[in-house]
Amino acid sequence: MHPEFEAVIGLEVHAQLSTQSKIFCGCRARLADGTSVADAAVNSNTCPVCAGHPGALPVLNRRVVEYALRAGLATNCRIRTTNVFARKNYFYPDLPKGYQLSQYEEPICEGGYLDVAVSETETKRVRLQRIHMEEDAGKSVHFPGYSLVNLNRAGVPLIEIVSAPDLSTPAEAGAYLRSLHAIVTALGICDGNMQEGNFRCDANVSVRPRGARELGTRTEIKNVNSFRFVEKAIEYEIARQIQLVKGGGKVVQETRTYDSDRNLTLSMRSKEEAEDYRYFPDPDLLPVLLEEAWIEEIRRGLPELPEQKKARFIRDFGIAPADAAILVGSRELADFCEATIAELSRSGMEPRAAGKPAANWLVGELRRLANEQGLEVSQSCLTPGHLADVVRLTQEQVISGQGAKTVIAEAWRTGETIASIVDAQGLRQVSDTGALVPAIDKVIAANPKQVAEFKAGKEKLLGFFVGQVMKETGGKANPALVGDLVRKRLK
Amino acid sequence: MTQTLRTIREVHDAFDQKRLSPMELTREYLRAIGASRHNAFLTVCEERALGQAKVAEALLAREGRVPRERLPLLGVPLAIKDNLVIDSIRTTCASRILENYVPPYTATCVARLEAAGAVTLGKTSLDEFAMGGSNENSAFGPVLHPTHPDRVPGGSSGGSATAVGAGLCVAALGSDTGGSIRLPASYCGVVGVKPTYGGVSRYGLVAFASSLDQVGPMANSVEDAALLLEVMGGHDPRDSTSAVAAATPARDALGEPDWRGLRIGVPEEFFVEGLAPEVERATRAALSWFEKEGAKLVPVRLPHAKHSVAVYYLIAVSEASSNLARFDGVRYGTRPSGEERDLAAFYRKARAGFGAEVKRRIILGTFALSSGYAEAYYRRACQVRRLIKDDFDRAFEKVDLIAGPVSPGTAFKLGEKLTDPLRMYLNDIFTIPANLAGLPALSVPNGKDAHGLPIGLQLLAPQFGEARLLGAAHAFEKGRA
Amino acid sequence: MSPSKIAVDEALTRKVATLARLELSDSEVSTFTAQLEKILGYVESIQELEVQGVEPLLSPLAAKTAFREDEILPALAGREGQPKVLEAAGEIIDGGYKVPPVL
Repeated sequence: MHPEFEAVIGLEVHAQLSTQSKIFCGCRARLADGTSVADAAVNSNTCPVCAGHPGALPVLNRRVVEYALRAGLATNCRIRTTNVFARKNYFYPDLPKGYQLSQYEEPICEGGYLDVAVSETETKRVRLQRIHMEEDAGKSVHFPGYSLVNLNRAGVPLIEIVSAPDLSTPAEAGAYLRSLHAIVTALGICDGNMQEGNFRCDANVSVRPRGARELGTRTEIKNVNSFRFVEKAIEYEIARQIQLVKGGGKVVQETRTYDSDRNLTLSMRSKEEAEDYRYFPDPDLLPVLLEEAWIEEIRRGLPELPEQKKARFIRDFGIAPADAAILVGSRELADFCEATIAELSRSGMEPRAAGKPAANWLVGELRRLANEQGLEVSQSCLTPGHLADVVRLTQEQVISGQGAKTVIAEAWRTGETIASIVDAQGLRQVSDTGALVPAIDKVIAANPKQVAEFKAGKEKLLGFFVGQVMKETGGKANPALVGDLVRKRLK
Repeated sequence: MTQTLRTIREVHDAFDQKRLSPMELTREYLRAIGASRHNAFLTVCEERALGQAKVAEALLAREGRVPRERLPLLGVPLAIKDNLVIDSIRTTCASRILENYVPPYTATCVARLEAAGAVTLGKTSLDEFAMGGSNENSAFGPVLHPTHPDRVPGGSSGGSATAVGAGLCVAALGSDTGGSIRLPASYCGVVGVKPTYGGVSRYGLVAFASSLDQVGPMANSVEDAALLLEVMGGHDPRDSTSAVAAATPARDALGEPDWRGLRIGVPEEFFVEGLAPEVERATRAALSWFEKEGAKLVPVRLPHAKHSVAVYYLIAVSEASSNLARFDGVRYGTRPSGEERDLAAFYRKARAGFGAEVKRRIILGTFALSSGYAEAYYRRACQVRRLIKDDFDRAFEKVDLIAGPVSPGTAFKLGEKLTDPLRMYLNDIFTIPANLAGLPALSVPNGKDAHGLPIGLQLLAPQFGEARLLGAAHAFEKGRA
Repeated sequence: MSPSKIAVDEALTRKVATLARLELSDSEVSTFTAQLEKILGYVESIQELEVQGVEPLLSPLAAKTAFREDEILPALAGREGQPKVLEAAGEIIDGGYKVPPVL
């Protein structure tokens, strides 16, 4: 935080909607495996409508409206029951009609908000200005001397979610973005893969003297493709603007791009060159009129949202707030956690007892493995059933914590049952008193000095004895049981 | 032979009586087109036409006579305005920019006509992208009037009007944005109908001004026009602006109208200075005929109609400037030949294929939508458009139809109005209001002037009032014959 | 704004032509400027009308937009299995539309 300056940040998020077909035609909006249609054979996913042939006309996909409504209702927006598609006119090779169909003066949703946890204890209300529907453009690939245009992506449905300039630090922007991401994925309206471009973010950043009321000139950082890069790009941009202003310079209103390799933002084009988009209502699409009954039906069908889920995880499962926040940030982690707890409940464990260890493993070890291998937990061979078994065996002290990690890694890779892995790797802890007594006796016999000190009251030495017994049994002994036995033996 | 078979009924009677076969008829029309000097066709699709005629012939042989209910257009040779796309048949819009464009799909209206048995002879000329009122704006030369070769056929559906009028097809499709069916129909002495906006699918009609464009029939009789309309009209899920409400089957309404109940509105705004005396006389005579039959003539007022041309030109060019942005040479159309170094140069070269009138309208429309001017031009025009429509709504509370002239004059000489776009625009003053208000309107022949040039009578009805509109025109056509 | 004060000059024509990606010759610029001025003079009549509170009429059809269901339609296949929409293109390389360098 700069002592003299403060930043004002607003984010514009483009979320690709996970419909089957495009917004205005029957071409695919995504491939069967959820990857981007841009990856299909070049221009194979196009038709007269999305390739902008003369005479072709758009017809709006009902599900796009439904998904936009879900987003608006989940973020406390007002719904405009009459909303309008407008033409945004500009020339670009990846824009086949010479205009983009978008919503301008009358978007489907306006004036919502999101309560974002900006720290463990603090929540910040970030206002949303609007959510509107629009079509994605195609993509150009560049070669020396020419470019090739691929329209597979042209017409894929998007919603643009525009925040008010209510954010003041890169961390807040990151928290808002993660929260929004969690919501659209929880709603099932967006695949949320930032690398694939499902969820893209532009950041508007300006600085002003602390306490000033007037906003400074803003720059827009375009299309940053990870949460971390958004934070870093904003951080860089704030520093750049402060330095500029302090040096007597002026911030130029312009569009900038973030270079993640060098961690800096670069000017793309300034406002002077800006296009005159000549927006006007699209005469090919009549106004979208929404019936209250349909809106209510969608409202009733909304799934539990991340914030609600987090509260429930804390309340019902006894999961620590920080862990709960991480879990609900990803629909698949949250679902995995719930499935594990359900498995454990079926075998008689209380949800509140099951929740904490299940969450610990997910947030810690499973996430670590996922990151390490660049996979989602669901892409591994490990199932909630596996994790439930691990929790149970650990709880029953059949395996040690260290053993559990080994088991998890193996199940992650192979999908073998936990019992068979434990047996195959000999990870079962020795909890049989009869089997441990000889080892304990051996250790007591070999350490008379420590025995004497322990008997004299030096309780701390219990750990020493347990350690020695563990060594003697090759790490398979149940340490808690060993402790009990040593204590009894030396009484 | 073709000269004696002017209507679908006559063609089907000839088929039924084995006086003529579909193949013979199609060949005869193809021959007539080949011999014609009217320049009405830009593309003749002989192969498609003969293929369709062959299918019709086989069907006819099997059935013994024309199944008029199931295939009401069986073996009927039609011409299609060249701004309607047909799969694998070149569509040019009479523009250099689309000189070699072969579309990958077929317009809904054409597909429906063909499914009803029609034979597509070819694509007719028009003012480039349907922008014009004389057919002189075609990149491929003007179309000549069917009977007066020194005159224009009117536009923009001039090719279709001449084709019908000169016996080069039985009927044709045109499109009407500000009068482009009715004006050439009146100049060429044929029937031309602009349906209610939303009545016929626009899917496959290359857009000029999306909120004004309508496809409609041009024919030698009201009955034929009604039949074509009935076959191609109705909801199309591919066009969001296609009306769900089905219009009354048009042919059902062709019986004798209930004249005593019929009130015909006569707007004083349609009888203004500049209206040729002969046209005014003919129009008044037609009104008297209706009155004599028992209809009641009611003076109505359309106080905002005088702003129609201004409103129309602002809205039409605004929409056109955006609709024509897609012609960039990338995905289709004429493409710059050299290795253009940058995009700006590429666009400039590709779009140099537009003719002068198209460029003029793109510039006017781009201006009317541009930042700082959109409020005063585009938006204000849309507001006045509502006032014009409100005038009609009020008038139609008192009357069932409105009657008036189609055009201030008859077919003018080639070149006469070319240098003054505004004068040309003002020629549309009586046809434009129906487009602004989305009303069905038609032109039916109403005698000739001293030069022997046809005069058209215009009738307008409330939205989806085609049945009454066509019924009255049909009675007029028969009664005045 | 009083649009009657709009100075229709060649600079305006050129600016609008650039927006529309049209190249005009000098003589076209001068003709179009004169015609634009005349046409704008003619449409001036609507500026005097009282339109306050009048909802702009954007389509004559008093209806709402129809929806289509979220269903995939198979692409149109052209010759040799290549997408049919590509057949109208001037220049295709590896399935992509060739254009001058975009960046």
